[in-house]
Amino acid sequence: MFLYYIRLSMLSYKRNPVLSSLMVLAVAVGVGAFMVMFTLNYVMGGDPIPQSSDQLFHIQLDYGDPADPASQPPPQLTYRDATALLNAPFPYPRVATSKFQGVVEPENTELNPFYIDGRGSTADFFKMFDVPFAFGTGWDSVADENQQQVLVLSEALNLKLFGGENSVGRVVNLAGKSFRVIGVLENWQPAPKFYDVNNGGFSRTEEAYIPWSLIAGQRLQRAGNTSCWAPRTDNSYEAFLDSECAWVQFWVELSTREEKQAYTDYLAQYVAQERAYGRMQIPQDKRLYNVREWLVKQEVQPDETRILTALAAMLLAVCLLNTVGLLLAKFLGKASEIGVRQALGAHKGALLTQHIVEAGFLGLMGGVLGLGVSTLGLKGAKLLMGEQMNIEWMQLDPAMIVVTVALAILSSIAAGIYPTWRACSISPATHLKIQ
Amino acid sequence: MSISLEVGPIFRTQLRNKLGVILIALQIAFTMTVMVNAVDIIQDRNAKMASPTGLDEANIFHISSFGFGESFNESTVQDEDINMIRALPGVIDAAIVSAVPAGGSGSSDAFMSEPDQREFTTNAAVYRVDEHAVTTMGLKLVAGETFGAEQVRKRSNSEALGADQVVVSLAFAQEMFPGAALEAVGKTIYDYENHGLRVIGIVEKLQSPWPNSDWIVERSVLIPDIIIDGNTTYLVRTEHGQRDDIMLEVEERLAASAHERIVRNNLSMTQSRAELYRLDGAMGKILYVVIATLMFITAMGIVGLSVFGINKRQRQIGTRRALGATRAGILRYLLLENFLVSGTGVLLGAVLSIVFNMFLVQMFDTPKLDWYFIPIGMLVLILLGQLSVLGPARSASYASPAQAISPSH
Amino acid sequence: MLQMRNINKRFKTSFVQTYALQDFSLHVREGEFVTVTGPSGCGKTTFLNIAGLLETFDSGAYLLDGQDVSHLSDFERAKLRNQKIGFIFQSFNLMPDLDLFDNVDVPLRYRGLGASARKEKIEKALDAVGLLARKNHLPSQLSGGQQQRVAIARALVGEPRFLLADEPTGNLDSNTAAGVMELLQEINDAGTTIIMVTHDDSLASRSARNVHILDGCLQSDVENIAPAIAG
Repeated sequence: MFLYYIRLSMLSYKRNPVLSSLMVLAVAVGVGAFMVMFTLNYVMGGDPIPQSSDQLFHIQLDYGDPADPASQPPPQLTYRDATALLNAPFPYPRVATSKFQGVVEPENTELNPFYIDGRGSTADFFKMFDVPFAFGTGWDSVADENQQQVLVLSEALNLKLFGGENSVGRVVNLAGKSFRVIGVLENWQPAPKFYDVNNGGFSRTEEAYIPWSLIAGQRLQRAGNTSCWAPRTDNSYEAFLDSECAWVQFWVELSTREEKQAYTDYLAQYVAQERAYGRMQIPQDKRLYNVREWLVKQEVQPDETRILTALAAMLLAVCLLNTVGLLLAKFLGKASEIGVRQALGAHKGALLTQHIVEAGFLGLMGGVLGLGVSTLGLKGAKLLMGEQMNIEWMQLDPAMIVVTVALAILSSIAAGIYPTWRACSISPATHLKIQ
Repeated sequence: MSISLEVGPIFRTQLRNKLGVILIALQIAFTMTVMVNAVDIIQDRNAKMASPTGLDEANIFHISSFGFGESFNESTVQDEDINMIRALPGVIDAAIVSAVPAGGSGSSDAFMSEPDQREFTTNAAVYRVDEHAVTTMGLKLVAGETFGAEQVRKRSNSEALGADQVVVSLAFAQEMFPGAALEAVGKTIYDYENHGLRVIGIVEKLQSPWPNSDWIVERSVLIPDIIIDGNTTYLVRTEHGQRDDIMLEVEERLAASAHERIVRNNLSMTQSRAELYRLDGAMGKILYVVIATLMFITAMGIVGLSVFGINKRQRQIGTRRALGATRAGILRYLLLENFLVSGTGVLLGAVLSIVFNMFLVQMFDTPKLDWYFIPIGMLVLILLGQLSVLGPARSASYASPAQAISPSH
Repeated sequence: MLQMRNINKRFKTSFVQTYALQDFSLHVREGEFVTVTGPSGCGKTTFLNIAGLLETFDSGAYLLDGQDVSHLSDFERAKLRNQKIGFIFQSFNLMPDLDLFDNVDVPLRYRGLGASARKEKIEKALDAVGLLARKNHLPSQLSGGQQQRVAIARALVGEPRFLLADEPTGNLDSNTAAGVMELLQEINDAGTTIIMVTHDDSLASRSARNVHILDGCLQSDVENIAPAIAG
């Protein structure tokens, strides 16, 4: 019977091709636009590392100038506090990390020297953030302590320098120094780039990773935000490292409630001790933020996507109202057929099913066309966003395809309920006489 | 039949066909809500994107050089580069700058009118520049003067600030010395590390590197201070129409000069500005697409439903024709009918638009709707409705009176 | 076969209440061919709708094939219509987007028969009205008379016990109408009970039994022992 209803739907489509196509188009546009925004929102407001996002905590300390208590504490740590927390007596994985820039001088002389964004981080970075390796591994804490000149390459940089082959053991000249390659990553572009949102929530990941201790140790050119709230004692590098200037992102992994409690207590004690030295005068009531909390606090998701989602929802509503109207017109136009079918033995349930299937059929077509609309929409959004941002994720994955088509069918059926009910509740006798 | 005579019966007919009316009216109301608010957002973004930096933007570009290797002497290279650039025909002037207005990156500092007066600070964008900055940017001095070559201090990162003069933007002076902005010349301000800087000039307008944020916008200071850290940015102003050629030439010459360095970010201000406002621009374009789509869908919906409604009343219309209604009369009847539905829709739309705008203002700090958006939006949608129904109504008006009498369709 | 006793059917608007049928009683026996006549608005269509289970009535009793149908659900009524009643309409009411085969198929679909059983029945029914060769044509490709034949095939395909016809010749010219009447007579001769509403007095007077309705009441019920009196 279901196949019979599908065939009737197709015949009915052919009977009013314009009206039917309008409905399909409306559903396609409404669902397509909504899915574009849903995809953007889903990723931008989503969880980039769901397997451990509630165990990874960003640390916020009681920073700021006490003379200006309205100031928001900067979202990073000072070198001094990052170092202290790295040395804290806990076994929990932790990472201090910050950006640097440098010039790569390739041994291959066909390539000109070029400028890259790099990241210094302590050893736990790769494990804590589930960074996928194509070749080799990251470094260990010994390399951190000894400032070993080892390097992990991104997939793209490895492709550029070594043609994508296993380059572990090769040497790269970076920032005037020789680094030994110990690992190569697979393509890794978390969105949002949760571990460093204050340098662009959706910017691309860095191209080379080195032990964090090298940044200060070798005075590499730092990159990314630096915020200060107290004058330095002098202009020496040592004074800078010791200053109230925050530029280090710091994360700790706490797997249990007990660990979190222990670390919270430790931070409170650390802050109290620093306060006694005259630092950290603006009290914070929350110092540990898990990934989701941190993304919300840092307002990573742009307002634009949320405004557009509200507008897309209204667009979908208009498209569905449109569909309700057109379906009503279409089904009422079939009133005499419905009457005849009743006379010939169709009960109400059969007629309701027939028309719900017809609405769903139009929805299916709208959904398939909507996939095209979504794909176009995402392509357009990519084009408009430009290459500065990490936009690789802007595409329909299989789950989204299913959701799009399902949404189209369900919303069309929803839109079809009232018209179906109206058309099928007309007394059959009314439409059997002369028309 | 006069229009006023028709309104009553049409209205009563509409009341009987409740759902059809409600559907179209709701569609129109939603469409109007989205349209009005989207246009409001587009206007706001466009205004932001159009706000001038204060520079002669059309004729300025910038290019950065990053030196590496032991033998690289940045100070010498800077002198060599800037003299070469200034000597190029078509170049009006060139300067070394630490940041580019509306360029997206740079630094800021907090300034005080007395040393250590940290409870009253004024944030400003800091441009560390040489003595050619004011002429290169094309800034207009409204008070005082700019600094000369002898004021410019070159230093490494580990040396303290040596400069003691500063040129500030009018917006900064107004914030720092409310009511006496122009008298700021000659006064000393202090940076966050308590270095005294004497204000020697005020420029009319100079935006920060991030004028897209609401933070500092137009509060800027120019300090004659060049930091030697490997990275140098040159800002170049050319004769009108020669910018693109000179951009290429400068890049080639810098790259060709035998130094261990990388030349990058060679962008006109037009380009870097477009990059800065990319999201705003994208938003505007997306919103235009949304508006166009909505209007199309709504119009198609109205066409579809009126064709249906008219077909259903073919016989009735034929009867009216048979009873003496003119073609124009039928057309007018159908247009009037649509007008009443659209009218209901836009009245509802006016209310919804305001409510939705309040929501946007509350949630996202978007601007409040200007009052005139509402009547314009109402008018546009009524016109859209009338245009949509015009086609079906015209063909209906051609229905022959005979259709009233023929027994079946 | 069909027994109505004291049927009342009222139509109410907010202002007035009118009787479509008042105290209406009729007994039709198996195998009869009954014509129903009366002026416009007299209630004959209402009678037909009630007889065909398309409308309910307010009071009275209606036994169809011995079964009381006054309190059946929509589902049960649909089933009865499907199995026991065939309908023929003045304007044929074929579905324009279905071909002849699919049009005749409609009642069988609601009976839940297998594809081969349906095919056999459909082809037999189309053959009976002489249109098997055109089973893949659309109704719009046929003349009025042919369309009505298809409608008759559709009404008969489920082998109903009785046939309700609402002015089946009303839209046809007299030659074609005569053909359709002949067909109906054959069907009746084969044992199917037929009730036919008509405006045509000559048809009525030639039928074996004529029921005349006026203002919702049974006015006369005439049985012609010798049908086809000269007219």
